Amino acid sequence: MSMLIAQEQDAEKVYKKRVLETTEVDFISSYYTQDGDNAAVSGGIGTEELTDVTATFIVSIPLNDDDVLTIDAGVSAYTSASSSNVGPFDDGPASPFQASSGASSSDLWSNITGNYAHSSDDRNEIWSAKASVSSEYDYFSLGLGGSYTRLFNEKNTEVSVNANLFLDTWKTIYPTELRPFGANGNGLSDALFNRNTITGNTNYNPNFTEFTDKGRNSYSIGLGFSQILHKNVQGSLSLDVIQQQGLLSTPFQRVYFSDVPDSFIDDFQLADDIERLPDARTKIALGGRLNWYLSERFVLRTSYRYYFDDWGINSHTATVELPIKLSDKFTIYPSYRYYNQTAADYFAPYEAHLSTDEFYTSDYDLSEYAANQYGFGISYTDIFAKVHVSTFGLKSIDLKFYQYDRDTTFSFSMVSAGFKFVMD
Amino acid sequence: MIKKTLFIIGILFSLSSCVVVKEYEKVNLNDPDMVLGDKKADRNIATAHSYREAAVGANGGKTGGGCGCN
Repeated sequence: MSMLIAQEQDAEKVYKKRVLETTEVDFISSYYTQDGDNAAVSGGIGTEELTDVTATFIVSIPLNDDDVLTIDAGVSAYTSASSSNVGPFDDGPASPFQASSGASSSDLWSNITGNYAHSSDDRNEIWSAKASVSSEYDYFSLGLGGSYTRLFNEKNTEVSVNANLFLDTWKTIYPTELRPFGANGNGLSDALFNRNTITGNTNYNPNFTEFTDKGRNSYSIGLGFSQILHKNVQGSLSLDVIQQQGLLSTPFQRVYFSDVPDSFIDDFQLADDIERLPDARTKIALGGRLNWYLSERFVLRTSYRYYFDDWGINSHTATVELPIKLSDKFTIYPSYRYYNQTAADYFAPYEAHLSTDEFYTSDYDLSEYAANQYGFGISYTDIFAKVHVSTFGLKSIDLKFYQYDRDTTFSFSMVSAGFKFVMD
Repeated sequence: MIKKTLFIIGILFSLSSCVVVKEYEKVNLNDPDMVLGDKKADRNIATAHSYREAAVGANGGKTGGGCGCN
């Protein structure tokens, strides 16, 4: 009897496929550049010029037949003309359309995330847990999350639930000219106003108070449902509910009021206040995807997402991508994405808010706009991973370019490259 | 908002399988370009969207957290 049981167990071991056969390493890098004329740092006017370089390693390690540990570590370095104008009076004539050389002109974001996933013996259940830490000069984030996935109907149907928690803390950085009017400031007696001459309203006296709550907590729960509809078609639906609490304003984004006289140093208008937004926000997003294997040469990938929140923003996103297999090694990826959103209730452009308003922002990322994005990519895949770097074989290379244009002055472009290696 | 949420949940769970595709018939569905989620190579463009668009997720900006404020 015991021999029979042992044989059955051996048989299970033989036929149980590993979730991940060998260690995989992904290296993903990108170069991003943007420009526009509606910088939030300078109250809705001024340059939005910014460049960013990102590099990320993702290492997936099979711990045994059922468990996979994934470590995701990345850095992102940016230089920004816009955020340099948190302190625009460092050198030369100050202007919202010129970069300054201040400390806020660049920053480094770094992140590490660990994810542990366990699959059941029949591969119909997957549990995962993750933790992340990320840091910037003025921001620190701690994240925790988990998910559960259940497959059934001969793996034709999949349902999943996931939950995430982010506990974030700001190091509040305010516009230079407002700091003398904060706690322990000495107003117009500050050295800043001795070094520089105020024009326009020379009795500059903003009604500025510093934030007392510097924490931001985000909670999210997501439901997913995917279904095979045909041997060439599959689709999915997802629902995400997100609640955010705490400091949701960005402390260095200026606001100018229409009912307050304007003060200037050089060509730079001094802030009347910083943006003030509610300390809670609920977001809901519904998404759908449909992928269709049209032929051995063509695949059609589509998605749609509807979003709304209690700040008054409604948004639609639609994407279509048409991978075209040129050979067994090369595939090209033309794509198009459309996005639009309504404005937040608290948004108004430069000099359009009133000082009597409770909440206000001139951040054009919260304004009404539509955007078109065109993309093109090419991938190289070698399933035998013949090219080697040490003990790792190169399995694929992905190169992509995107051009994104709003119906305002804002646009960005991005080039990204991804390399996938598998251990021998 | 509650009505909208309930409507969305209703749609999500009202769908059910109408066909069963066997494992040996899934060769096309297993094509890497048929994956239903975002690909790893697309993560940085998704980050850019989360920075510049208001309809973002819980983590404000970048994957793994961050203010998304620059």
